[in-house]
Amino acid sequence: MGLFGGRKHGGLFTFNKDDGYLEAILRGFKKGILSRSDYNNLCQCDNLEDMKMHFISTDYGDFLAGEPSPIHTTTIAEKATCKLVNEFNHIRNQAIEPLSTFMDFISYGYMIDNVVLLITGTLHERDISELVDKCHPLGLFKSMATLSVVHNVADLYNNVLIDTPLAPYIQGCLSEEDLDEMNIEIIRNTLYKAYLEDFYNYCKYLGGQTELVMSDILKFEADRRSINITINSFGATELSKDDREKLYPQLGLLYPEGTGKLGKAEDVDQVRGILEVYSTYRSFFSDGVNNEKSLEDSFFEHEVHLNRMAFEDQYGYGVFYAYIKLREQEIRNIVWIAECISQNMKQKMNQYIPIF
Amino acid sequence: MFQLLSFLLAAANTTTPVGRIITDACPVYAPFFGAMGVTAALVFTVMGAAYGTAKASVGISNMGVMKPDLVIKAFIPVIFAGVIAIYGLIICVILVGGIKPNANYTLMKSFTDLGAGLTVGLCGLAAGMAIGIVGDSGVRAFGQQPKLYVIMMLILIFSEALGLYGLIIGILLSSVSDSYCPGAMLSPDNGTK
Repeated sequence: MGLFGGRKHGGLFTFNKDDGYLEAILRGFKKGILSRSDYNNLCQCDNLEDMKMHFISTDYGDFLAGEPSPIHTTTIAEKATCKLVNEFNHIRNQAIEPLSTFMDFISYGYMIDNVVLLITGTLHERDISELVDKCHPLGLFKSMATLSVVHNVADLYNNVLIDTPLAPYIQGCLSEEDLDEMNIEIIRNTLYKAYLEDFYNYCKYLGGQTELVMSDILKFEADRRSINITINSFGATELSKDDREKLYPQLGLLYPEGTGKLGKAEDVDQVRGILEVYSTYRSFFSDGVNNEKSLEDSFFEHEVHLNRMAFEDQYGYGVFYAYIKLREQEIRNIVWIAECISQNMKQKMNQYIPIF
Repeated sequence: MFQLLSFLLAAANTTTPVGRIITDACPVYAPFFGAMGVTAALVFTVMGAAYGTAKASVGISNMGVMKPDLVIKAFIPVIFAGVIAIYGLIICVILVGGIKPNANYTLMKSFTDLGAGLTVGLCGLAAGMAIGIVGDSGVRAFGQQPKLYVIMMLILIFSEALGLYGLIIGILLSSVSDSYCPGAMLSPDNGTK
């Protein structure tokens, strides 16, 4: 009874009171994720029309029904993302606190990508309304309607960005001049760092199974970002070591000693040496040397593993986040297979990452 | 006239009580328990019914946006929740009928009345909460898949039965009728004046 007005989500006895139906719907969606036999069928297709037929028997149904043939891989990706967005919105519209805030946090990641796209477009004097079509549908925000009055970056900052839910992150790290001067990738990474830390703190506040599941996933995300920033900053970039270290999120297995060492690393071998100590990450580098699996693939595989583990749990919100990420991976897999088919590179087709 | 005199004498000397008898078995504070039983019954069942109505209505509103035609059929959980409050009302009327200023109200009757009220109240609270949560999920699912109506009704009926069990025991308890007040009368002019 005392949990009638409680704000944090309940545990064993009261989780289903507010979120039981939505978790049930989500697990129903999860059953529609393509299985290995579906992937086998797709791999045996000869062209994209065949793939379209095979999709009909899966959860996707005839999502490509209205498309004129010949179908392109980009169309498949777009329509699959549309389906994912519909499912996300279906759940988001029925969610109440605190699940609604949690799902908003999931969408902020995509919002950051959209905001960076808008900033780039404004800097290059492109027509903003065209860019809205290119934005990721999960990250749309309300002030997109006012984009037509924006002519330069100062307008963008003062009229649009401050109204988005990302405003605390933007105000915390960037000022109006920074948008003009800073490298766009640095802006993206600064925003993402603030977002990750905020999300992590929110999950800790929620406690319970959500915290258990999400902290693993978010820590891996932070480590992955740190490693990618380090490796991408080798070579001819103007990113100094201090700036690099400021971009590492302050959470994860690598924080603080690992990130301190990564901040001083100079090449990939040094990075490998630093990561030797961490058993999870050690195997990422050794695999990449032997066969064709790149570092990116190892990261994706580990991410799929963590997200799959989230479904073993109950009475937590981790499943909602995990489902979105697993669907994204599935869309990447489908696009990979479609590209291999359309470019006749069947030997590389098995490099997709199976999910369930 | 002699009869009138003897009647008056009898009336003056007799200790036949006119109101309630107060003894150790029928103390002054006995009606407190009875009244608390009445309160418990109505308050808790109404809380259960309120929770059930509120929670189910959220679900109905959610599904009614997309499927307004199904809203009338989806109204069922609210009715079930209201019935829980009626159970509380029934037992209250029964209990209140036994607390009279002129009838003996024994401690035993007052305790059984308290038990009856608490039983109905807390069982109704549980049933109301169950109906609320089942109704919420049930109507949302019914909005997506109309074939689920029958199973939702069945689950609601089972939840309603929980409140009914409380009402049965409450009625059995409150039907204990006891007006036997043994023991020494506690106040000298016990109801006589």
